[in-house]
Amino acid sequence: MSVLLAVSGLVAGYEPGLPILRGVSLTLGEGGIVALIGPNGAGKSTLIKAIAGQVPRFAGAVSLAGRDLAGTPTHRLGALGLGYVPQVANVFARLTVAENLVLAAAALPGPARRAAVAAQYAAFPDLASRARLPAGRLSGGQRQMLALARALLASPRVLLLDEPSAGLAPAVVSTVFARLRAIAAGGVAILLVEQNVGAALALATRALVLVGGRIAREDAAAALAADPGLADLFLGRAA
Amino acid sequence: MIAQYVADGVVSGALVGLGAIGLTLTYAVLGFANFAQGEFLTWGAYFALALLSGTGLGHAAALPPFAFGWPLLLVLPAAVALTGGLAVALDHVLFRPLRRRAGPMGLVIASFGASLALANLVVLLFGPKPRYFSRAIAFAIPVAPGVRLTADRMLVVALALLAMAALHLLLTRSRLGLAMRASAENPALAAVYGVDAEGVRRASWWIGGGMSALAGVLLGQTEQIQPLMGADLLLSLFAAAILGGIGSAGGAFVGGLVVGLAEALSVPLLGAAYRPAAAFLVLFAVLMLRPTGLFGERP
Repeated sequence: MSVLLAVSGLVAGYEPGLPILRGVSLTLGEGGIVALIGPNGAGKSTLIKAIAGQVPRFAGAVSLAGRDLAGTPTHRLGALGLGYVPQVANVFARLTVAENLVLAAAALPGPARRAAVAAQYAAFPDLASRARLPAGRLSGGQRQMLALARALLASPRVLLLDEPSAGLAPAVVSTVFARLRAIAAGGVAILLVEQNVGAALALATRALVLVGGRIAREDAAAALAADPGLADLFLGRAA
Repeated sequence: MIAQYVADGVVSGALVGLGAIGLTLTYAVLGFANFAQGEFLTWGAYFALALLSGTGLGHAAALPPFAFGWPLLLVLPAAVALTGGLAVALDHVLFRPLRRRAGPMGLVIASFGASLALANLVVLLFGPKPRYFSRAIAFAIPVAPGVRLTADRMLVVALALLAMAALHLLLTRSRLGLAMRASAENPALAAVYGVDAEGVRRASWWIGGGMSALAGVLLGQTEQIQPLMGADLLLSLFAAAILGGIGSAGGAFVGGLVVGLAEALSVPLLGAAYRPAAAFLVLFAVLMLRPTGLFGERP
């Protein structure tokens, strides 16, 4: 398995001297879904944001397909193959669905841009019929689909997702998760933060448990799901 | 009689609207109220004046029915570009370093300082006396019953509408316009979408500075060029930007027209002494009914 995303010894946080992540290391290979789970405040979203360049990194390294991302501004990451879907405010509410997609594909030349947007409309028919609607008027599930379609436009090799099921009805969550399985089957590596531990472990192939800014355990998702000691791990007790 | 005041209000409102576009773009994309915006208007006019006298073209005969010669049309785009460049340079030396260290209030205070410095630099370079692009006399011609306007003032409205239409196309149809609207809504997400925030900021300064320079040259042609011409308009620019809904370019232009009309109509209706207060009475009334302004989005 070739390593697409490698994080080593990552120390990151919002204020210098107050790190939230205290030396996190992980690797992501092609086509797998890795769930990042842990108690509230463990630093799950911070880890995703730090990889995506949205939170300052104080120490450690992040590399994408062997390329060190130190000093790479956030707006260049998409072109390098790193897609990121934030948890909230992940689409431009005042722009239409079509404008959201066109903006994300703006770096492509005209014909390639139209083909890329058309491919996303084919994959997400709900978006095609709402192309002229402001994204702010979409339902929660449709917004999540738009955010996914937007991230996929740049043909990412690694996709970082921050709680894609947050605020969605259970039926919509299964649609979103089915879509994620299909994306991973296409060879995209997915790192997923989820509060819903059961659903995340059922979706993922591998899982990392983050506690207090450190990886407390890494295992196959099925093994973790079957482990009765997982709750203790969440509560900070040795499993 | 009232029709003439309305026509005058539309002309001065078109100029205020052009100037207010820069103010509203800066606020939307950079997040602060730029008190040096009026100076871009002044500098636009003085850039054109310097280019005319520097090239020796200032003495060309007027181009009937206008009171200016063809060289003014030639130097107008150059003055617009130079002022856009001045705005970008000001951002580079003053606002960009402060963005990393100071909050929006720090930027506002810095813009006060920049305004004073730019206004005094004009006095230092060009002197305090009023200047003119042309000494030719503009004759007003009847355009409607009870309305007479000079060709120059009609051109002001035509060029302002043209500039506004071009800006509207840029904001709605171009990649840059999409990026600017996206950055105004959520700069962090715009970066995730692949938008270069610095590029968008630079473009906003160019466009805002350029639009103000266009207003400055047109104001200089229809009235006079003097070092405080932009600063004198600043309160009207703010009233227009807020009235239209801060962050909305089209709103700022419509706000400018409302301010121009309110100021012009206050003379026959309230008395000339109330002219400076008229825009604020309208602003007060509109914000009571619609706190986000005419075209502002609810947060």
